[in-house]
Amino acid sequence: MAVRTIEVRERVMARNDELAATVRERLRKAGVLALNLVSSPGSGKTTLLERTLDRLGEELDIAVVTGDVQTQNDADRLARRTSRLVQAVVTGGACHLDALQVDSALDSLDLDRTRLLFIENVGNLVCPASWDLGESAKVVVFSVTEGEDKPVKYPKVFQQARYAVLNKIDLLPHLQFNLDEAVGNARQVSPELRFFFTSALTGEGMDQWYAFLREQVRAVGPIPAM
Amino acid sequence: MHELSVALEVCRMAEERLSPPQLSQLVAVGVEVGDDAGVEPENLRFCLETLLAAPPFARARPVLTRLPGDALRLAYLEIDDGRSDD
Repeated sequence: MAVRTIEVRERVMARNDELAATVRERLRKAGVLALNLVSSPGSGKTTLLERTLDRLGEELDIAVVTGDVQTQNDADRLARRTSRLVQAVVTGGACHLDALQVDSALDSLDLDRTRLLFIENVGNLVCPASWDLGESAKVVVFSVTEGEDKPVKYPKVFQQARYAVLNKIDLLPHLQFNLDEAVGNARQVSPELRFFFTSALTGEGMDQWYAFLREQVRAVGPIPAM
Repeated sequence: MHELSVALEVCRMAEERLSPPQLSQLVAVGVEVGDDAGVEPENLRFCLETLLAAPPFARARPVLTRLPGDALRLAYLEIDDGRSDD
Protein backbone atom coordinates (compact mmCIF):
# COMPACT_ATOMS: atom_id res chain seq x y z
CA MET A 1 0.00 0.00 0.00
CA ALA A 2 1.35 3.42 -0.91
CA VAL A 3 0.63 6.53 1.05
CA ARG A 4 1.59 9.60 -0.94
CA THR A 5 2.56 12.76 0.87
CA ILE A 6 1.76 16.06 -0.78
CA GLU A 7 3.89 18.82 0.70
CA VAL A 8 1.94 22.05 1.17
CA ARG A 9 3.68 24.15 3.81
CA GLU A 10 1.34 27.10 3.38
CA ARG A 11 0.23 29.47 6.09
CA VAL A 12 -3.35 28.93 7.20
CA MET A 13 -3.84 32.70 7.24
CA ALA A 14 -2.55 33.11 3.67
CA ARG A 15 -5.98 33.53 2.07
CA ASN A 16 -7.14 35.98 4.73
CA ASP A 17 -3.92 37.95 4.27
CA GLU A 18 -4.44 38.09 0.49
CA LEU A 19 -7.94 39.44 1.05
CA ALA A 20 -6.59 41.90 3.62
CA ALA A 21 -4.14 43.17 1.02
CA THR A 22 -7.09 43.70 -1.35
CA VAL A 23 -8.96 45.65 1.35
CA ARG A 24 -5.87 47.72 2.10
CA GLU A 25 -5.46 48.60 -1.57
CA ARG A 26 -9.14 49.57 -1.91
CA LEU A 27 -8.80 51.85 1.10
CA ARG A 28 -5.52 53.31 -0.12
CA LYS A 29 -6.98 54.15 -3.52
CA ALA A 30 -9.97 55.80 -1.86
CA GLY A 31 -7.72 57.76 0.53
CA VAL A 32 -9.34 56.21 3.62
CA LEU A 33 -7.61 55.76 6.98
CA ALA A 34 -8.93 52.58 8.62
CA LEU A 35 -8.59 51.90 12.35
CA ASN A 36 -9.43 48.46 13.69
CA LEU A 37 -10.64 48.76 17.30
CA VAL A 38 -9.90 45.62 19.31
CA SER A 39 -10.69 45.05 22.96
CA SER A 40 -12.32 42.76 25.46
CA PRO A 41 -16.11 43.03 25.73
CA GLY A 42 -17.26 46.03 27.74
CA SER A 43 -14.16 48.19 27.42
CA GLY A 44 -16.20 51.04 25.95
CA LYS A 45 -15.45 50.82 22.22
CA THR A 46 -19.00 51.72 21.22
CA THR A 47 -19.21 54.64 23.65
CA LEU A 48 -15.84 55.87 22.37
CA LEU A 49 -17.18 55.72 18.82
CA GLU A 50 -20.48 57.39 19.76
CA ARG A 51 -18.65 60.37 21.20
CA THR A 52 -16.18 60.42 18.31
CA LEU A 53 -19.02 60.43 15.78
CA ASP A 54 -20.72 63.26 17.67
CA ARG A 55 -17.58 65.40 17.43
CA LEU A 56 -15.89 64.34 14.19
CA GLY A 57 -18.41 62.31 12.21
CA GLU A 58 -19.13 65.03 9.68
CA GLU A 59 -15.74 66.74 9.83
CA LEU A 60 -13.77 63.59 9.00
CA ASP A 61 -16.43 61.78 6.95
CA ILE A 62 -16.39 58.83 9.32
CA ALA A 63 -17.85 55.46 8.34
CA VAL A 64 -18.17 52.50 10.69
CA VAL A 65 -18.26 48.72 10.35
CA THR A 66 -19.22 46.86 13.52
CA GLY A 67 -18.68 43.20 14.31
CA ASP A 68 -20.65 41.28 16.88
CA VAL A 69 -21.23 37.60 17.54
CA GLN A 70 -24.97 38.19 17.80
CA THR A 71 -27.24 41.26 17.51
CA GLN A 72 -26.55 44.53 15.75
CA ASN A 73 -27.01 46.54 18.94
CA ASP A 74 -23.72 48.41 18.51
CA ALA A 75 -24.52 49.35 14.92
CA ASP A 76 -27.96 50.57 15.98
CA ARG A 77 -26.45 52.72 18.74
CA LEU A 78 -23.91 54.23 16.36
CA ALA A 79 -26.46 54.78 13.60
CA ARG A 80 -28.21 57.22 15.93
CA ARG A 81 -25.05 59.39 15.91
CA THR A 82 -24.46 59.66 12.18
CA SER A 83 -26.35 60.13 8.95
CA ARG A 84 -24.03 57.58 7.33
CA LEU A 85 -24.75 53.89 6.99
CA VAL A 86 -23.26 51.86 9.84
CA GLN A 87 -22.55 48.43 8.43
CA ALA A 88 -23.14 45.62 10.93
CA VAL A 89 -21.42 42.28 10.53
CA VAL A 90 -23.00 39.57 12.67
CA THR A 91 -20.46 36.79 12.79
CA GLY A 92 -22.91 34.12 13.95
CA GLY A 93 -20.56 32.67 16.53
CA ALA A 94 -17.16 33.53 15.15
CA CYS A 95 -14.97 35.31 17.67
CA HIS A 96 -13.40 37.82 15.27
CA LEU A 97 -13.92 39.65 12.00
CA ASP A 98 -12.01 38.48 8.95
CA ALA A 99 -10.86 40.26 5.81
CA LEU A 100 -13.59 38.75 3.63
CA GLN A 101 -16.28 40.18 5.91
CA VAL A 102 -14.66 43.62 5.81
CA ASP A 103 -14.22 43.48 2.04
CA SER A 104 -17.94 42.69 1.69
CA ALA A 105 -18.87 45.43 4.16
CA LEU A 106 -16.91 47.99 2.13
CA ASP A 107 -19.24 47.29 -0.82
CA SER A 108 -22.05 48.89 1.17
CA LEU A 109 -20.11 52.01 2.14
CA ASP A 110 -19.56 55.09 0.02
CA LEU A 111 -15.76 55.09 0.17
CA ASP A 112 -15.53 58.18 -2.02
CA ARG A 113 -17.28 60.06 0.79
CA THR A 114 -15.18 58.50 3.54
CA ARG A 115 -11.89 59.66 5.00
CA LEU A 116 -11.88 57.69 8.24
CA LEU A 117 -13.21 54.16 8.70
CA PHE A 118 -13.58 52.57 12.10
CA ILE A 119 -13.84 48.80 12.26
CA GLU A 120 -15.26 47.88 15.65
CA ASN A 121 -14.10 44.31 16.02
CA VAL A 122 -15.78 41.59 18.08
CA GLY A 123 -15.04 42.08 21.78
CA ASN A 124 -12.24 39.60 22.37
CA LEU A 125 -8.61 40.16 23.31
CA VAL A 126 -7.34 36.92 21.73
CA CYS A 127 -8.63 36.09 18.27
CA PRO A 128 -8.83 39.48 16.52
CA ALA A 129 -5.06 39.79 16.99
CA SER A 130 -4.51 36.99 14.49
CA TRP A 131 -6.61 38.39 11.65
CA ASP A 132 -5.39 41.17 9.40
CA LEU A 133 -8.41 43.09 8.12
CA GLY A 134 -6.53 45.43 5.81
CA GLU A 135 -6.62 48.22 8.38
CA SER A 136 -4.12 51.06 8.60
CA ALA A 137 -3.55 50.26 12.27
CA LYS A 138 -5.04 48.38 15.17
CA VAL A 139 -6.10 50.35 18.24
CA VAL A 140 -6.40 48.33 21.41
CA VAL A 141 -8.96 49.68 23.87
CA PHE A 142 -8.88 48.56 27.47
CA SER A 143 -10.43 50.00 30.56
CA VAL A 144 -9.37 50.64 34.12
CA THR A 145 -11.86 48.08 35.41
CA GLU A 146 -9.97 45.28 33.67
CA GLY A 147 -6.78 45.19 35.74
CA GLU A 148 -3.24 46.40 35.08
CA ASP A 149 -2.01 43.05 33.81
CA LYS A 150 -4.17 42.80 30.68
CA PRO A 151 -1.21 43.64 28.40
CA VAL A 152 0.96 40.85 29.78
CA LYS A 153 -1.93 38.38 29.87
CA TYR A 154 -2.84 39.10 26.25
CA PRO A 155 0.47 40.23 24.74
CA LYS A 156 -0.28 39.47 21.09
CA VAL A 157 -3.08 41.99 20.74
CA PHE A 158 -0.93 44.68 22.37
CA GLN A 159 2.01 43.78 20.12
CA GLN A 160 -0.20 43.99 17.03
CA ALA A 161 -1.65 47.37 18.01
CA ARG A 162 0.06 50.65 17.23
CA TYR A 163 -2.16 52.67 19.59
CA ALA A 164 -3.81 52.04 22.94
CA VAL A 165 -6.80 53.77 24.49
CA LEU A 166 -7.07 53.33 28.24
CA ASN A 167 -10.72 54.10 28.83
CA LYS A 168 -13.06 54.77 31.79
CA ILE A 169 -10.47 56.90 33.60
CA ASP A 170 -13.35 58.70 35.37
CA LEU A 171 -13.55 55.57 37.55
CA LEU A 172 -9.95 55.82 38.75
CA PRO A 173 -10.83 57.46 42.10
CA HIS A 174 -13.04 54.50 42.91
CA LEU A 175 -10.62 51.72 41.97
CA GLN A 176 -7.23 50.43 43.04
CA PHE A 177 -6.01 50.55 39.46
CA ASN A 178 -2.36 51.56 39.05
CA LEU A 179 -2.14 53.54 35.82
CA ASP A 180 1.68 53.57 35.68
CA GLU A 181 1.82 49.82 36.17
CA ALA A 182 -0.70 49.26 33.36
CA VAL A 183 1.26 51.47 30.97
CA GLY A 184 4.51 49.81 32.05
CA ASN A 185 3.05 46.38 31.34
CA ALA A 186 1.90 47.49 27.91
CA ARG A 187 5.28 49.02 27.07
CA GLN A 188 6.95 45.81 28.24
CA VAL A 189 5.25 43.88 25.44
CA SER A 190 5.07 46.77 22.95
CA PRO A 191 7.59 49.54 23.66
CA GLU A 192 6.38 51.89 20.89
CA LEU A 193 2.69 51.79 21.83
CA ARG A 194 1.18 55.28 21.86
CA PHE A 195 -1.35 55.82 24.63
CA PHE A 196 -4.52 57.85 25.01
CA PHE A 197 -6.24 58.16 28.37
CA THR A 198 -9.95 58.72 28.02
CA SER A 199 -13.34 58.61 29.59
CA ALA A 200 -15.66 58.24 26.65
CA LEU A 201 -18.50 58.75 29.14
CA THR A 202 -17.46 62.12 30.58
CA GLY A 203 -15.29 63.28 27.67
CA GLU A 204 -12.10 63.50 29.71
CA GLY A 205 -9.03 63.02 27.53
CA MET A 206 -11.08 62.90 24.34
CA ASP A 207 -9.56 66.10 22.91
CA GLN A 208 -6.19 64.35 22.55
CA TRP A 209 -7.93 61.47 20.77
CA TYR A 210 -9.70 63.87 18.41
CA ALA A 211 -6.46 65.73 17.66
CA PHE A 212 -4.76 62.43 16.91
CA LEU A 213 -7.53 61.40 14.51
CA ARG A 214 -7.42 64.75 12.70
CA GLU A 215 -3.63 64.48 12.39
CA GLN A 216 -3.82 60.91 11.06
CA VAL A 217 -6.53 61.69 8.51
CA ARG A 218 -4.57 64.74 7.38
CA ALA A 219 -1.50 62.53 6.92
CA VAL A 220 -3.43 60.24 4.55
CA GLY A 221 -4.08 63.28 2.41
CA PRO A 222 -6.97 64.54 0.34
CA ILE A 223 -9.32 62.18 -1.39
CA PRO A 224 -7.87 61.44 -4.83
CA ALA A 225 -9.67 62.96 -7.80
CA MET A 226 -12.03 60.62 -9.64
CA MET B 1 -11.02 30.49 20.55
CA HIS B 2 -10.97 30.65 16.76
CA GLU B 3 -9.90 27.05 16.27
CA LEU B 4 -13.06 26.24 14.31
CA SER B 5 -12.27 29.06 11.83
CA VAL B 6 -8.74 27.73 11.49
CA ALA B 7 -9.98 24.17 11.01
CA LEU B 8 -12.46 25.28 8.36
CA GLU B 9 -9.68 27.08 6.52
CA VAL B 10 -7.43 24.00 6.69
CA CYS B 11 -10.24 21.92 5.16
CA ARG B 12 -10.83 24.54 2.47
CA MET B 13 -7.13 24.46 1.61
CA ALA B 14 -7.26 20.67 1.31
CA GLU B 15 -10.35 20.83 -0.90
CA GLU B 16 -8.64 23.40 -3.09
CA ARG B 17 -5.67 21.11 -3.67
CA LEU B 18 -7.30 17.69 -4.07
CA SER B 19 -9.83 16.24 -6.49
CA PRO B 20 -13.07 14.76 -5.07
CA PRO B 21 -11.73 11.17 -5.27
CA GLN B 22 -8.53 12.24 -3.56
CA LEU B 23 -10.49 13.90 -0.74
CA SER B 24 -12.07 10.56 0.11
CA GLN B 25 -8.59 8.98 0.00
CA LEU B 26 -7.11 11.54 2.34
CA VAL B 27 -5.74 9.80 5.43
CA ALA B 28 -3.74 12.49 7.22
CA VAL B 29 -3.66 16.28 7.40
CA GLY B 30 -0.43 17.65 8.83
CA VAL B 31 -0.71 21.00 10.57
CA GLU B 32 2.14 22.88 12.26
CA VAL B 33 1.04 24.93 15.26
CA GLY B 34 3.39 27.44 16.85
CA ASP B 35 3.34 27.90 20.61
CA ASP B 36 2.55 31.59 20.05
CA ALA B 37 0.04 31.10 17.24
CA GLY B 38 -2.92 31.91 19.48
CA VAL B 39 -4.36 28.47 18.85
CA GLU B 40 -5.09 25.81 21.44
CA PRO B 41 -3.87 22.58 19.77
CA GLU B 42 -6.31 20.20 21.44
CA ASN B 43 -9.26 22.39 20.45
CA LEU B 44 -7.94 22.54 16.90
CA ARG B 45 -7.52 18.76 16.85
CA PHE B 46 -11.13 18.31 18.01
CA CYS B 47 -12.44 20.71 15.34
CA LEU B 48 -10.41 19.02 12.60
CA GLU B 49 -11.48 15.53 13.69
CA THR B 50 -15.11 16.64 13.53
CA LEU B 51 -14.80 18.26 10.10
CA LEU B 52 -12.67 15.49 8.60
CA ALA B 53 -15.24 12.88 9.63
CA ALA B 54 -17.83 14.37 7.28
CA PRO B 55 -18.01 14.46 3.45
CA PRO B 56 -16.20 15.22 1.24
CA PHE B 57 -13.66 13.69 3.61
CA ALA B 58 -13.92 10.08 4.72
CA ARG B 59 -11.12 8.81 6.91
CA ALA B 60 -8.58 11.57 7.39
CA ARG B 61 -7.05 12.31 10.77
CA PRO B 62 -5.27 15.48 11.85
CA VAL B 63 -1.58 15.27 12.75
CA LEU B 64 -0.55 18.31 14.73
CA THR B 65 3.09 19.25 15.21
CA ARG B 66 3.99 21.82 17.86
CA LEU B 67 6.70 24.35 17.00
CA PRO B 68 8.23 27.35 18.73
CA GLY B 69 7.09 30.73 17.41
CA ASP B 70 3.81 31.78 15.82
CA ALA B 71 3.69 29.51 12.77
CA LEU B 72 0.32 28.14 11.73
CA ARG B 73 0.71 26.09 8.56
CA LEU B 74 -0.91 23.33 6.59
CA ALA B 75 2.25 21.25 6.24
CA TYR B 76 1.17 18.24 4.18
CA LEU B 77 -1.65 16.03 2.98
CA GLU B 78 -1.35 12.24 2.90
CA ILE B 79 -3.35 10.19 0.43
CA ASP B 80 -3.86 6.45 0.33
CA ASP B 81 -5.08 5.68 -3.18
CA GLY B 82 -5.03 1.91 -2.68
CA ARG B 83 -2.27 1.32 -5.18
CA SER B 84 0.52 -1.05 -4.26
CA ASP B 85 4.00 0.17 -3.44
CA ASP B 86 5.40 -1.30 -6.66
